[in-house]
Amino acid sequence: MKIDENLHWILSFYRTSEISGALFFGELARSLRPSAIQQDMTRHFADEANHARYWTDCLEKLGVEPLKLPVAYQNQYLAAAGMPTNLMEILAITQVFEKRVVSQYSLHRESPDVPDIVTETIDTIMEDEKWHIQWIRDALTEMEDEYGADNIKDTLRRFTLADREVYQKTAQEHKERLGELRLATK
Amino acid sequence: MNTRETVRAKMAEVLGSAPERVSDDAVLTDLVNSSFLLVEMVIELQEEFDVRFQQSDIVDVVNVGQLLDLAESRIEARAKA
Repeated sequence: MKIDENLHWILSFYRTSEISGALFFGELARSLRPSAIQQDMTRHFADEANHARYWTDCLEKLGVEPLKLPVAYQNQYLAAAGMPTNLMEILAITQVFEKRVVSQYSLHRESPDVPDIVTETIDTIMEDEKWHIQWIRDALTEMEDEYGADNIKDTLRRFTLADREVYQKTAQEHKERLGELRLATK
Repeated sequence: MNTRETVRAKMAEVLGSAPERVSDDAVLTDLVNSSFLLVEMVIELQEEFDVRFQQSDIVDVVNVGQLLDLAESRIEARAKA
């Protein structure tokens, strides 16, 4: 099977992004002291690594090898939003990013002519993504005493604005590759 | 080893750098290949020494010495509390 080169690029982009997430959360899971957050972060990092594997397998089933892409999407977050400097800020930026991931995968799934294997891969990943959003939401709620509910809300708002900026920039930069997925910028 | 040098040693360990590279005037972004490593190091310091930083604390931190000043002041404040 020969796939469209834009689809090849997009699936490779997803794979690169999942690898970056896995490496980042893996390092964090190693840094954290034993706690419920450490446990959830460890599962989260394992999920991201599995997602990278699912995309790698999906690309193989589509008859292509993953493209080596230089910069993961997440790297641009730090430039736009400023460096998260504590665990609450890490979880807040992750919450915003995970919502973006769910939105992007949903949009991709609903776009025309999606190969069955891509739909199946998205469906598998989405089950985990729902849990990612849930555990982080719960952890942020538990952090309200330590960091302040208003501070957490402000942090989420700041990262949400940065997310929109980065997503629109990425969508503009790769508008031909993204095709129908450009709708996500609305 | 005093507090400042203990923190410096931890920074060097996380960054995978020789301690002599982590000098006070070393620019933090020159010590890392990826911004994510810098985030990991800042989180690791907070976990290791049981202190908290906010983004407003970090925004003007450029070099190792400034980060050590911040960490040292938080560790001392925690010890006095």
